[in-house]
Amino acid sequence: MLNKVIHSDILQKKRKLDSSKEESTSPTCINGNIKTNYFSEYEQKYMEKAFELANEALQSNEVPVGCIFVYEDNIIAIGRNMVNETRNATRHAEMCCIDQVNDFCKKENLNFIAVFKETFVYVTVEPCIMCAAALYDLKVKSIIYGCKNDRFGGETVFNVADVLKPVTTRKGGYRADDAMNLLKLFYQGVNPSAPSSKLKRKFKETT
Amino acid sequence: MSAICKVRSILDDSFINNLPLTEVFVDSITCPKNISKVVLELNLLFPLPELIHLKRVKSKEVLLFPSQNIVKEEVHKILQERGFPIDLLKNEIRKVEVAAVPPLVRSQYLQCHSIWPCNFHSDKYIEKLYTNTLFSDEELKIKMKFMNITEDIGKFSKNNNGVLIVDPKSNSVVAVGYDRSNDGPCRHAVMVAIDNVSKSQRGGCWTNDEYFTVDQCNSNCKDIPSDILALLRGKYTDIKFSDSALIPSERVTPYLCTGYDVFSTREPCIMCAMALIHSRAKRVFYGKSSENGGLGTLCKIHTVKNLNHHYEVFIVENIEEKKDS
Repeated sequence: MLNKVIHSDILQKKRKLDSSKEESTSPTCINGNIKTNYFSEYEQKYMEKAFELANEALQSNEVPVGCIFVYEDNIIAIGRNMVNETRNATRHAEMCCIDQVNDFCKKENLNFIAVFKETFVYVTVEPCIMCAAALYDLKVKSIIYGCKNDRFGGETVFNVADVLKPVTTRKGGYRADDAMNLLKLFYQGVNPSAPSSKLKRKFKETT
Repeated sequence: MSAICKVRSILDDSFINNLPLTEVFVDSITCPKNISKVVLELNLLFPLPELIHLKRVKSKEVLLFPSQNIVKEEVHKILQERGFPIDLLKNEIRKVEVAAVPPLVRSQYLQCHSIWPCNFHSDKYIEKLYTNTLFSDEELKIKMKFMNITEDIGKFSKNNNGVLIVDPKSNSVVAVGYDRSNDGPCRHAVMVAIDNVSKSQRGGCWTNDEYFTVDQCNSNCKDIPSDILALLRGKYTDIKFSDSALIPSERVTPYLCTGYDVFSTREPCIMCAMALIHSRAKRVFYGKSSENGGLGTLCKIHTVKNLNHHYEVFIVENIEEKKDS
């Protein structure tokens, strides 16, 4: 179902755009100040997977956020936003993944508390206040994300860590511009099948 | 039922706390008949846009300007340099603390007005929230009844957490939820109830077939588990359950939980509080504070300014319950 991720035209087009952008700016910079080498090879690999899911969400007319959970170097959950499909505003990518981990633990006869403690969360957008609180309560090991979430962010809009004092480590900034541009595409209602010249113009206007 | 219920608003700290103060310089007027001239000159030469809520004059005293980084001895010189006719003042410069921001509720107004005269435009709705007089006795009775139903729903879970979602326009129950964290760590009562609302709108993500009867799959109350429905219908004969579920095609379902009231036995945690923001609930009523609560205890998620939706929060206190039992 979800793991049949197909690279969409849009992502490929965007990558072409980005590669031309990178030539003109410093190659080690994303979003102006965060270095790409801040992310290990593993982290980059998993973040790419999360981007594929974000893209799948966009194709399905959902807010383009993708997420994967990694436990002992295995992907145990893959999720993307499913709010419109389920008519449930809480079905964010992270919440879908949490349910999958629960199923995984039941199937493998593992203690879910112990599994979450060793789980790494890769998500294209900073988790919202709800998801951040859920992930902190589950004591996940680490959250690695793409762009900031200036509408609902669990750090940016209201810092949940200030009150819940989590053990979870957090870092963001991986392909932040790309993650943000996906969101912009969704909120502007850009037709994904529009010719690339129009797309380029839109990008220039918004960035 | 002789229990009296009290519904208390959980408001942003800016309504509850004393107003922050700031220091200003004041002086006395030499001759009372010059008051209007002094005020006119001061407003022209030293406008105070950030202290617009304050009046310029307090009997024979007049507010000059904020004292930030200025020593008292320099004030006279500053007035002179700007061309203020200083002979209108007695040159008895003093520092006085005044309210730094406009008062939001009457009690703050009275506090700040006693220090220095102040303008106040009362917001009647906020005043009602602040004084806990928003609901009539009749409305309070209904809220109390819904709170009792919520407690009954909670009895179906191991930790007595129940949630009821109500359409206040018709006072009918739209969906219920109780803690099902055995089935998944995030299935708190609020999350389950939200998903049951989604089910009433032909959505939903969590299967709960095991607690719906076959009959019910064809009935209107798809969003209320059958065992709970039977109990509630028997006990609360005057309440409509899932009345909004008329014929699906004729039924106007709102976007998510827009316009709905949410009753919860306990204060929702931060995750659930934010889930209700995402779902656009109208009001949240809860019975008891929780140590991990996000609507009053640890924080007040409903007052976070930058969010795109806000709901009102109330704690329902059952005052005479103990005497009765």
